[in-house]
Amino acid sequence: MNEKQKKPTLSAGRRELKELADTCDAISDRKFNPFFLDVKLGVETLRQFFPLWETFQDHCMDAHTLNRLSEVVRLQNTQLKFQSSALYADPEFIVKKIEKMSEKRLVEVLLHSWHPLAELEQLTEETVTNALIYWDTLLPIAERWKKRQTNEGKPPSSINAETLTGLGVHGEEFNKQISRLYDELRVACEKSKVTDYWTFVRRPTYQETVHRAYLISFLITYGFAKLKTEDGKLSLIPVEQPTGKAAPNSISFPIPVPRSS
Amino acid sequence: MERKETTETQSQEATQTQTEETTQETTQTQLKEETQTSAPQTFYSDKLKRAMHLLLFRRGKMPGAKEWELKEKIGKNYEQVLEQLNQLLSELDLEIKKVKERTPAYATQDEMPRDESRFYITLKGTLGLKEAKMIGWRIDNLAALAAAVAFLLSKQGKAPREDLEKLLANKFGRWKSVTLVDIFLRTGYLEEDDAGVISLGWRTQSEIDLKALMTRMAEVKL
Repeated sequence: MNEKQKKPTLSAGRRELKELADTCDAISDRKFNPFFLDVKLGVETLRQFFPLWETFQDHCMDAHTLNRLSEVVRLQNTQLKFQSSALYADPEFIVKKIEKMSEKRLVEVLLHSWHPLAELEQLTEETVTNALIYWDTLLPIAERWKKRQTNEGKPPSSINAETLTGLGVHGEEFNKQISRLYDELRVACEKSKVTDYWTFVRRPTYQETVHRAYLISFLITYGFAKLKTEDGKLSLIPVEQPTGKAAPNSISFPIPVPRSS
Repeated sequence: MERKETTETQSQEATQTQTEETTQETTQTQLKEETQTSAPQTFYSDKLKRAMHLLLFRRGKMPGAKEWELKEKIGKNYEQVLEQLNQLLSELDLEIKKVKERTPAYATQDEMPRDESRFYITLKGTLGLKEAKMIGWRIDNLAALAAAVAFLLSKQGKAPREDLEKLLANKFGRWKSVTLVDIFLRTGYLEEDDAGVISLGWRTQSEIDLKALMTRMAEVKL
């Protein structure tokens, strides 16, 4: 049984060579370090499966993989040369430095090694030719407007209450959701009377977070809660006796919900 | 006696005119000699002007002049002309820089001769923070350029676009990182291939002293 497993087969050879070529391609695209691949092992794999090749395509695949392996060897050579040069710096070390350095410090580093080009720009034959081609091929404005008219979408139309209920922005279900959220907010603010906006809004999925942010906007608009901003920090305060009407001097305050949160 | 006197005066006049003629001749020959000696100088200044125009005025997509252009328009001694021009420019804190252009692997010898160089005029010294702002660069964009170049250099000059954007996003924000990479690609500081791998562009090679940049980066104390 073990002998059978060790014996190389044609399908396994094709699969292995494809994987090998893909790894080499990834190294060429700088996704991995060139020394990530054991070239010697790669060549041995090629040798192992070479007697099994039957078709012209198999031999082409073999040649292609060998070519990719040679590219990896070239990259390994380049890396060694680079590491021995004065330009070498550990990528992780550089990344950490960049993250910790202030913008001003980074600019100072660049300015000490930057010698900008001096040049003057003017009209060239090429730019004039391009401009003439543009104007020659440009349709009259009436024609262009015609095109716009054909691309117009549907005109605005009315929407009924059923559709709105179906969308979840109207109806009993929507009101229930708002009152549930209001109760939840009151519980959250029992001790400190104030709660952090993002702690209250954030949920495991992005969809849930956006939905809560959407419902809270209604709580604030209808006077069930107040939004407070202090030093860029957003806080929510529940109103004990809500009037159900918007505050007289309320302003629109957009809050973007980042996907990463 | 009177006749003698007149003959004497005539002979004196004759000698005077002779001497005048000879002096005129000598001055003419001197002038000729002078013009002959100063001729190459005027010719030279003409070449200097032509070289300056070629280097300073942008004609195509890229500034500067190619080696063959200079050979064609200035002549075989173009290197001497550039040397003289460089001396003049150095007084203005400018210098002529020769940068070897990278030929694509697919290009044949006929399409693009190997080892073609391009000549540019660059600033000899460096700019201050205020001056950099004055030439139209935002400080945060310059900081991002420094970060991008240093990062790519540490990765042997090439890295996937996602990696670079991730680094810039941590420092300058996610949305800005995409815009910043596009700006650097458009201005020639970075290049992108079909596989989405970013490398250092022609402008970085010609404007930034890479060794100095990495040395400075290494020296920075946090």
